Amino acid sequence: MTTTTRVMFPRMPRGPRQERHYLERPRQQGLVQRAVVASFRKLDPRQAVVNPVMFVVWCGTALCLLLTVEPRLLDGQAGAPERGFNALISLTLLATLLFANFAEALAEGRGKAQADALRRTQARTQARRQGADGSIELVDSSDLRRGDVVLIQAGDVIPADGEVIAGVASVDESAITGESAPVLKEAGSDVAGSVTGGTRILSDQLTLRITADPGKGFIDRMIALVEGAERSKTPNEIALTVLLAVLTQVFLIAVATLTPVAGFLQDAPSVVTLVALLVALIPTTIGGLLSAIGIAGMDRVAQFNVIATSGRAVEACGDVNTLVLDKTGTITLGNRLAEEFLPVGAHSVAELAEAALGASCFDQTPEGRSIVRLAETLGAVLPFAAESASGIDFSARTRMSGSDIPDGSEFRKGAVDAIKGFVRSRGGEVPEALDQCFERVSRLGGTPLAVCRGADVFGVIYLKDIIKPGIRERFEQLRRMGIRTVMLTGDNPITAGVIAREAGVDDFIAEATPEDKIAVIQQEQKLGKLVAMTGDGSNDAPALAQANVGVAMNSGTQAAKEAANMVDLDSDPTKLIDIVTIGKQLLITRGALTTFSIANDIAKYFAILPALFAGAGLEALNVMKLASPQSAILSAMVFNALIIPALVPLALKGVKFRPLSAEQLLRRNLLVYGAGGVVAPFVGIKLIDLAIVALRLI
Amino acid sequence: MTRFLHIRFWLPLLLVAGTLLLAPLFRSGQPPLQSHTLALLLCGTVALSGYLFTVIAQPEKF
Repeated sequence: MTTTTRVMFPRMPRGPRQERHYLERPRQQGLVQRAVVASFRKLDPRQAVVNPVMFVVWCGTALCLLLTVEPRLLDGQAGAPERGFNALISLTLLATLLFANFAEALAEGRGKAQADALRRTQARTQARRQGADGSIELVDSSDLRRGDVVLIQAGDVIPADGEVIAGVASVDESAITGESAPVLKEAGSDVAGSVTGGTRILSDQLTLRITADPGKGFIDRMIALVEGAERSKTPNEIALTVLLAVLTQVFLIAVATLTPVAGFLQDAPSVVTLVALLVALIPTTIGGLLSAIGIAGMDRVAQFNVIATSGRAVEACGDVNTLVLDKTGTITLGNRLAEEFLPVGAHSVAELAEAALGASCFDQTPEGRSIVRLAETLGAVLPFAAESASGIDFSARTRMSGSDIPDGSEFRKGAVDAIKGFVRSRGGEVPEALDQCFERVSRLGGTPLAVCRGADVFGVIYLKDIIKPGIRERFEQLRRMGIRTVMLTGDNPITAGVIAREAGVDDFIAEATPEDKIAVIQQEQKLGKLVAMTGDGSNDAPALAQANVGVAMNSGTQAAKEAANMVDLDSDPTKLIDIVTIGKQLLITRGALTTFSIANDIAKYFAILPALFAGAGLEALNVMKLASPQSAILSAMVFNALIIPALVPLALKGVKFRPLSAEQLLRRNLLVYGAGGVVAPFVGIKLIDLAIVALRLI
Repeated sequence: MTRFLHIRFWLPLLLVAGTLLLAPLFRSGQPPLQSHTLALLLCGTVALSGYLFTVIAQPEKF
């Protein structure tokens, strides 16, 4: 949470999530057509070579096609029957390649469609660039460079990312966030001081200093990431690639050395049969779907209006052990409201209300405004002329805010400890009743704010915190998944304890400073845990960079967005929980499909091995009673090809997420995808064999 | 110069050289076309195996 003064944004109340428009969902029909075309383009060996499993299939397909054209290339005795069989195997292998390419192209296409939606926000526009001598020249937005100063007026599209150096204006950011309510931007503010190119200024005017060269702005980077231009393999994908390459290598050597063994048995199989055996043995299902699963994971995060800077970040979400959450906005509703005034000493409620009004008249936070509203409801009148007074902003260090008036009076409100210190520094005494009020409010789970005028303590304002509905159940789910939640709050320990108990978080840190945030992350990481957190202010940037998963709010500062590895376009800190769920889903999907892929090879052995060595007494292995050796091989190959498109929806959508512990998930997935992966091909291959016989393909 | 260091330059050369070297081993009772194709298939399989070893050694490049 940023600790600098929050500017009052004239935002409309945020509507329910389904009412906001997310990044445009790609049209399915156009996507499929483009994916079909791309799946043929991906047959280019320069593209195929990046996937070791499918490249082996590619080589096998090329060899089988050659042997279809000229069956006598390796065997002088081969004739027309072999050509027909070779052609069927070649076509099946080609289909396997195309299906795998299609899965990847479809996943990429969805990302590209989202990138197009972002790109539409990047209209080229004219900008008024201010020269060093103050002269104004009209330039194209693509000519703007980092450091240029531009003037923007109501109705203009902001030409590039920038920092507000003068002016106050409301900006429509709906092109990026989908949020229709305008956002106030002004100079000198941490969060409200940065603007994004492509958004539109609605009122007044701003002077901006451009912070990004053309092509390097926020939207440009987001487009590159969504399109997958900067996609690199994640650690998990690399580990799986090595495993798949090792398995492929082992089976390649095994199949290559099979010919001499078969020759010894005087039952040498044809090269096409050996290629079929190799393709059946290597894990083509996961090999074909691996990159699609990764791209789809990024896509699912993007569908949630969250842009991940890398697949690594999405994957890290799946391994997160600890969530560090700000209380305000994440666990409780962002707006705490003044509920009651509790006077101390000889002061009355009316006097306290007047002092509270004096201390809050410059406070534009929702809390400050609620104090003003409550005081005015009680009939309080501002005890000084607002024009003559000056406001004192809240800061994490002083933990109080207020007003100074020309006669030397200092109205202050803030954390009870901070006010006590302030009163004592002015030579005043702190009444015992203040501590009683403090405890009373804290035990109610509220936030007590003490109010004073100089050395005179007036009482306590009870700010009521409202815990978000359903948050306790979410934390319970996270606990079942083995994720620990830590709440950070600037509140005192009693209030923090009450809120923590009500919300059901595992741990809390009260009176937290920005330094505490980074300390708690480092402490967890020393214990070997992966930590996720959200932030929006510049002071959150170090912690966002330190966390394994840092989610910056789009409304936040440029520093926070650059330090984080994800940006939430809706600026909703609660989404961290959803993002973790998506990360887990990605890992579970990859694990489930790997299990399925390896398990379903077993049935293929039972189909192909008896067919290969029919004359060597291996008929007993033909448990599926397949019609002939050739139909058995073809059935296994057809099943091998068809299983890829059959699993594409699962790869893109992800395995249904259940909040279970790692052990429970492993047990469940082994049962569903392991046992299912063993059984399904037996049924599938038998059915295909029956169809091949019925169609007299062989 | 970089062209000569590139795998695309060396691989076909190695395949041809390997085929010519190994073809005599398959010549017993085989016409030249078959023996040369078998030798090329063997060289291709070795190259494929080498490629898989490269993937295992440097997976991040793929």
